[in-house]
Amino acid sequence: MHAPNNPFRKQVTANLRIEAGINWLLRLCAYAIVIAASIIFLTIFWKGSKALVQPTFPFINIGFLTERPETLHVLEKEGSPTLSMGDREFREFEKTHDISAYKKASYVYAAGGIFPNIVGTVLLVIGSMTIALVLGIFSAIYLSEYSRQGPFIHMVRLAILNLAGVPSIVFGLFGFGMFVLAFNWGVSLLAGWFTLAFMVLPVIITASEESLRAVPKGFREGSLALGATQWQTIRQNVLPYALPGILTSSILGIARVAGETAPIMFTAAFVMRDEMPWQVKHFTDFFFQGVMALPYHIYVVSSKIPQNEYTEKVQYGTAFVFLVVVIGIALASVMARIKMRNRYKW
Amino acid sequence: MSTSAKIKRLDQRPMKDAILSKNKFRFLGLTLDDFIKYFFQGNAMIAIVVLALITISLFSSGIWFIPQNYQNLVVYRQAGLEYVDYLRQEIDDHTALTRYLSNLRLQQMQLLLKEGKSPEEAQTALAPLDAFIAAYGDAATPLNDMLSEQTDIASAIKDKHNSQQEELHGRELLLKAGKKEEAAALQVEPIDFKASVQPLLDMRDAYIEANGIFAETLSNLIFHPPRMVSRSLQPKMDRFRELSRTYLIELPKYEDQILNWEQFKPIPKYKAVTSFLFGRQWLTASFWQDWYGIIPLLVGSLTVSFVALVIAIPFGVGAAIYINQIASPTEQNLIKPYIEFISAIPSVVLGFFGIAVLGQSMRWLSQQEWLAWVPGFPIQERLNIFTAGALLALMAVPTIFTLTEDAINNVPRAFKEASYALGATRLQTILKIMIPASLSGIISAVLLGLGRVVGETMVVLLCAGGRIEIPDFTQGLGAFFQPVHTMTGIIAQEMGEVVQGSIHFHALFMVGIILFLLSLVINYLAQQVVHKYKISIG
Repeated sequence: MHAPNNPFRKQVTANLRIEAGINWLLRLCAYAIVIAASIIFLTIFWKGSKALVQPTFPFINIGFLTERPETLHVLEKEGSPTLSMGDREFREFEKTHDISAYKKASYVYAAGGIFPNIVGTVLLVIGSMTIALVLGIFSAIYLSEYSRQGPFIHMVRLAILNLAGVPSIVFGLFGFGMFVLAFNWGVSLLAGWFTLAFMVLPVIITASEESLRAVPKGFREGSLALGATQWQTIRQNVLPYALPGILTSSILGIARVAGETAPIMFTAAFVMRDEMPWQVKHFTDFFFQGVMALPYHIYVVSSKIPQNEYTEKVQYGTAFVFLVVVIGIALASVMARIKMRNRYKW
Repeated sequence: MSTSAKIKRLDQRPMKDAILSKNKFRFLGLTLDDFIKYFFQGNAMIAIVVLALITISLFSSGIWFIPQNYQNLVVYRQAGLEYVDYLRQEIDDHTALTRYLSNLRLQQMQLLLKEGKSPEEAQTALAPLDAFIAAYGDAATPLNDMLSEQTDIASAIKDKHNSQQEELHGRELLLKAGKKEEAAALQVEPIDFKASVQPLLDMRDAYIEANGIFAETLSNLIFHPPRMVSRSLQPKMDRFRELSRTYLIELPKYEDQILNWEQFKPIPKYKAVTSFLFGRQWLTASFWQDWYGIIPLLVGSLTVSFVALVIAIPFGVGAAIYINQIASPTEQNLIKPYIEFISAIPSVVLGFFGIAVLGQSMRWLSQQEWLAWVPGFPIQERLNIFTAGALLALMAVPTIFTLTEDAINNVPRAFKEASYALGATRLQTILKIMIPASLSGIISAVLLGLGRVVGETMVVLLCAGGRIEIPDFTQGLGAFFQPVHTMTGIIAQEMGEVVQGSIHFHALFMVGIILFLLSLVINYLAQQVVHKYKISIG
């Protein structure tokens, strides 16, 4: 008794086996990428959470988020537990104890927190995004509403495309040569704002134009047919519908601005600064002060201080906070876009 | 006719104007709407303006490098540094040969110890070789003494020249400030290059004599080289003899260079640029002579990018094909956003990961016995081309993946359906229809990925190792495990430390110009390919 011979049954030929093999190979490619990225996320999340999360109430190491970076002093003495303390604590300790009995090692920036860095990054993002959004949206309005095909528009589009490909360090060099030196602004927030704004401009223009074009033509035609001028049409019938889209897709620009290190290295970032940004004598000084920034701090703590158990906390902790912030922004952008897509269906 | 005439028009303008114009405020013949339009148009020019500003600010700083570098080269020749460098080259080549011998001795020693000899026995067995090495190395001692003497003289001349330049600069500043008397009081003695270099030239006779003895000693020595204790190393010794002989034959070349050196031979102007573009040394803040050659940095950038692309292309394109053609909808919805998400990882975090984790694990991996067959393993430096390249690959993957997927998506459905209708399998359809039809899109995706990788700064600054040297490609694939420095990295690292207006400062701007032009070229190529791609689909 055997099954009736089915002439249409799938024959397992060598070709099919090869095909299955290649399918697996391609699948492997996709999953390898996913795994590689996951390893990075998990390593930084795991080790970084050690710096940030603690077993006792309030479970989050508030000090890491609200204090300034300090020098870490590690004191070793035979027969007693190893002491590690921040700079202020160490000064107190010095008064009451004889430290010459200890073997002392110091690591800069390895104690305290990263509060000024977070503030600096937030200031940089707010300022540069404001500039970039204003310039970018105006630019996109012209491209999508007024422009006619011609050499001028061709040149503008070419410039945007090329600007998008310019390496970030070249923007840094440009900002340094132009704002810091030629305009004599010094290493300052203002120089950093413009450098970052120009860097992110192509992203904003492209995103804004896309959102403007997504508004149906009928909206404009209806308004124009009722006798409104072009500007009235844009202001009342196009921009209100496009603006949410523009803002949500611009969030991706925020992720880029917050994440870049090279452009602010010599335009806005300080390695260490004692005052907080609002501690200025005159309000105009606010714009001409350098700030500490998260990405630059990561660069400093990962390249300028040695890797060991004492410095690991601040290194991974900073990377963790930074990654969470940037990924959070990017995630918000993706979510907002999905929500937008569901809300407006013309 | 009669009714229309009775209507009294309030507006006295001609009928056509009254209907068409919107009775608005006008200034210089432009309505408010026109102004708004021009305002937006002005804003649209911002991209062009920024691009122009970048170009101007880079070139206006970078251009000063050329005259400064020319001056640098002139001083190099006139202060006699070039002359001394000929002798240095001769001695360096000899030192390289000595080093070859010492290496050989080390190998022999290890071999003997492996055979179970005690260290003392091995020492005695190596005695003739040691004597030979010592004699070979000592042969250059008189030349070495001469070199250090000449070096002192030449660098003294250069120092004097530099301080004189500074004084001149100071006098200019005084004159600018209007302090004429003080400027006049600051007498600057012009330096007489000819007279100062004369002592160097006077040493030529002594050099010829010393060189003759040197050549004789060497040829006597290599006439009777000691036999190696282990037979397996004898070919290396023979090779050494061969190398030595070539060196001896070339000795007169050095002599010629030294004898025929002309102190005031003019340097062609183009050298100021070519010594930058084709210079094989980037050496700054040295006591002797600074060189600004971009080749080691360019090669560093390109090798790192090459490694990144070699890894990123198969994975990126493969994943795109898989997601677009083979994957189930669930997989698609999960993996696609995830891969696109990778582009949000800040580069400095990746760089930190490279230093903290990848470098260490690479070194650990390279020390494993079962991986010893991999060229370049065990690696010397944990931060090298491969470490940086692997991380950059992860940065390039999202770009390549997304654009490739788009390109495959854009292939008309009919192509695929026609292929299936003809009885082709899925694999055949993918390989012979989908990929060729989207090939130009894929190529442009790769080019844009390359653009991203070449311009990336933080990862290479942290993970490429930071050694400014052209990797030793004679090692084959092992060369990819050597540290390098890159164009982006050098700008980021040195810009904060250089003196404004110095030649080094301007050289960094020149590197920036090269980087800028490179990115424009890559962008242009990608656009060209995309342009063609539109035509091919029809």
